[in-house]
Amino acid sequence: MTALEAVSVYLPPVRIPIESLAGPLGLTDMQVKLFRRFHGLREVGRDPDVSLYGMLMKAAASLDALRGQEHRVRYVLYARTMPVVAPYPVNPLHEVCRALGLEHALAFTVTHQSCASGLLAIDMAGRLLAADTADRQDGQAGPLALILAGEKAFTRDAQMFADTSIFGEGASACLVSAFGARDRLLAYACNVRGEFDSATGENDARLQREYRPSLAEVMRRALDEAGLTLDDIRVVLPHNVNVVTWQRMCLLLKFPLDRVLLDNIPANGHVFCADMFVNYKTACERGLLRPGDRYLAAAVGAGGGATFAAMVFEH
Amino acid sequence: MAAQEAGLDAEFRQRVADTMTTVLARLLDREEPVTLDMRLMEELGLSSTFGLELLLELEDQLLILIDVELMDQDQMKTVGDLATFVAGNSRPA
Repeated sequence: MTALEAVSVYLPPVRIPIESLAGPLGLTDMQVKLFRRFHGLREVGRDPDVSLYGMLMKAAASLDALRGQEHRVRYVLYARTMPVVAPYPVNPLHEVCRALGLEHALAFTVTHQSCASGLLAIDMAGRLLAADTADRQDGQAGPLALILAGEKAFTRDAQMFADTSIFGEGASACLVSAFGARDRLLAYACNVRGEFDSATGENDARLQREYRPSLAEVMRRALDEAGLTLDDIRVVLPHNVNVVTWQRMCLLLKFPLDRVLLDNIPANGHVFCADMFVNYKTACERGLLRPGDRYLAAAVGAGGGATFAAMVFEH
Repeated sequence: MAAQEAGLDAEFRQRVADTMTTVLARLLDREEPVTLDMRLMEELGLSSTFGLELLLELEDQLLILIDVELMDQDQMKTVGDLATFVAGNSRPA
């Protein structure tokens, strides 16, 4: 069963209050007040002196479980929100692989599900590894996959999303195995809605209406597949889009808001596909997860279509 | 739900309603008056963003803080529903 062996995160030390972004992003006073009062966004991390390669390396550098296990890494997946993040022929993913001694691994980017690509990468890594190791389920010595996430907020589209969220820079690295014992993936549910294409905007009003019910549907479907209910979930690791979305999700789901880990929204904003991993680290550091606890990660990717995704894990 | 049924301060609810209809007309750039029986989404086409902007303006003008975390959007069908919610779920700023 797919398992998260280790997770590490890098969040830039330079903190930018959202008021400072008003000028560069052309935000009105009202927009800034909305972000702060209702969306719960206060500041984001930015690291003007560190490149995308640098951020990914900083996340990978603190992934102690990778040291000495590089030969076992068969896949490196880069889960990404933005389709393009560097000018050709610059390829931060391949540079990271070279620097980490992972040239032998098959490295590729997972995108097209925007901010939900992080959960897709976990599912994909697990399935690839399981197919490779189907004949020997010895887990401990089996192959591994490394999932990287995180991006630079380098364009306006990469700094803010549709008046609802502000992106923060940061990166994560996650080691995945096919048959590990800890943080086992119990279920994954995903719904890709290609009709919600923000480029045309013609279904934006419908997306607003269906956003929360669609996310609730995949959360319930993942729980059903895991044979669990929301009552069994110790904590929800949300996508860090904003606070008000999760306040309303909790009303819809009849789930206590204090069991949704919202701490990183005011502190770091929406860290692209790294949200789940950032929130996982925070949950562990705050002692919110005990062995055997089940938790649910949720994500929505919106842009060229919308993807609603949910994963249930056992810690 | 009528203000009396909800046990609300009728005068305050009226102030909320008056402010709300005025702000809505401006936000939505409507020349015709906004009335309490109008449906927020279907009739006025109020988006989530405009909805939050409306609440922020209400907070600023009435010097209140609205308990947004208690607001079930699905129960807020009309302008009157929203006025009743705000009147019953807000406190002085």
